[in-house]
Amino acid sequence: MDRRRGETRQVRLRVNGQDHVLTVGGPAADVAVTHTLAHTLRETLGLTGTKVSCDRGACGSCTVLVGGEAKLSCSMLTVECDGLDITTVEGLADPVTGALDPLQQSFIDHTAFQCGYCTPGILMSAKALLLKNPRPTQADVQEALSGNFCRCITHYHVLEAVQAAVEAGAASATAPDSRRARR
Amino acid sequence: MRSFTHVTAGSLAEACALLSEAGGKGRANAGGTDLLGVLKDGIHAQGPELIVDLKAVSGLAEVSREGDEVRIGALATLASLDRSTLLRETLPLLVQAAHAVGTPQVRTMGTVGGNLCQEVRCWYYRYPRHVGGPVGCLRKGDGPCLAVKGDNRYHGVFGGRGCFAVCPSDLAVALTALGAVVDIAGPDGSRREVAVEDLYEPTTLTLAPGELLAEVRVPVPARPTRQTFLKFTVREPVDFAVVSVAASLDRDGPGCRDARIVLGGVSPRPHRALQAEEVLRGGDVDDQTAARAGEAAVAGAKPMRHNAYKIGIARTLVERAVRACLDA
Repeated sequence: MDRRRGETRQVRLRVNGQDHVLTVGGPAADVAVTHTLAHTLRETLGLTGTKVSCDRGACGSCTVLVGGEAKLSCSMLTVECDGLDITTVEGLADPVTGALDPLQQSFIDHTAFQCGYCTPGILMSAKALLLKNPRPTQADVQEALSGNFCRCITHYHVLEAVQAAVEAGAASATAPDSRRARR
Repeated sequence: MRSFTHVTAGSLAEACALLSEAGGKGRANAGGTDLLGVLKDGIHAQGPELIVDLKAVSGLAEVSREGDEVRIGALATLASLDRSTLLRETLPLLVQAAHAVGTPQVRTMGTVGGNLCQEVRCWYYRYPRHVGGPVGCLRKGDGPCLAVKGDNRYHGVFGGRGCFAVCPSDLAVALTALGAVVDIAGPDGSRREVAVEDLYEPTTLTLAPGELLAEVRVPVPARPTRQTFLKFTVREPVDFAVVSVAASLDRDGPGCRDARIVLGGVSPRPHRALQAEEVLRGGDVDDQTAARAGEAAVAGAKPMRHNAYKIGIARTLVERAVRACLDA
């Protein structure tokens, strides 16, 4: 029962394709046993794109992808994240070219934010939806984003931005000839 | 957040043994959507000193059918219930109730065991320690129930004894309507079975330190029944039920052989509306019967100063749920 005495443990995380080994407990600790994943991403790894708003799992600001699914990083203990593959908003852009994800570009094109604090969480929920379902209906989008709150009430702009990204994605997935034929 | 010792359990037996040894100073964690809030707000005077992570325990996340019952592992996520074809075909009530919980993220993380065992949402019980210090109450074994003289708009109208916080679990309401039992694992390898509604005692869960939910067993109705779950909340996603109802009707042409009507958000446990069931059982069921069932469901309610409005909502929800079962 040595491990009950809270001696040093290592947590391996893959964040945006990059591997990290973090030490929990002991004098050389990177992370305390009480730290949430949101805290570790922001304060230990410097990935401040993930936001913490309510810190109680109700607002969705801290949403990140864990194995492609939208989860609340404020409600996960880092010590329980060993071996997880995490994507934050910083991981959406192309790591080589720096080109924004089409969803991000669409949010810019549709001004789908005001203060922007909830935007990273909304982007990650939207990304999780599109990974599972590249052609969602408006109702699917509303359902997938129902756990993300925006106090500036940009929800309508967000729906337009996601829908536009879906349509652009569908169009680019179609051969140029058939696109011309449809016009 | 206060510090604690953290252990990742490799098996259910190990988790039970560790928590038994911690003697009430340990807590199990699965999805974390309830426990993390409890820890951050420091609502308990002490501890926990030990957190046991259950997520690495294998074989407890399955939803499967065996004979005439469906078995749901305690670590099955709410999202997995929501998208289960087996449940959609056999126990649609459970799919509706699972979908009614929280947000998509909460359903992806939250588990069946955690939903059933989550702590109550009473705002006195949950009062954050860092805002003006700790708040004691009867449920914490420290003083009287503050809802009795305080603001009790979200508290119970049935069956409160000392504590008037309501059972916050949507699944418990649906599972009670389906006659489900939970299988509880103990520290010495023992197992015991209790009806879902009997998990909830007036001020606590019936679980002893070292006891953990292993699975939920739900009988599949011999004949297909009409099932409806309705939930009234202040805002649609995220929120806990002000009132919820689970209705299951065994229809026989225009008649009704049997009915189960269970209310949530009104009592420390899922509340069987036995008088409403009596109204529905046996005879023909139409819109008038549905209205009478709604009346019968709230008979005997004892509202407090701020929560009489729940009675009207309960009456209407029962009526609507029965009508939905007629239309289905």
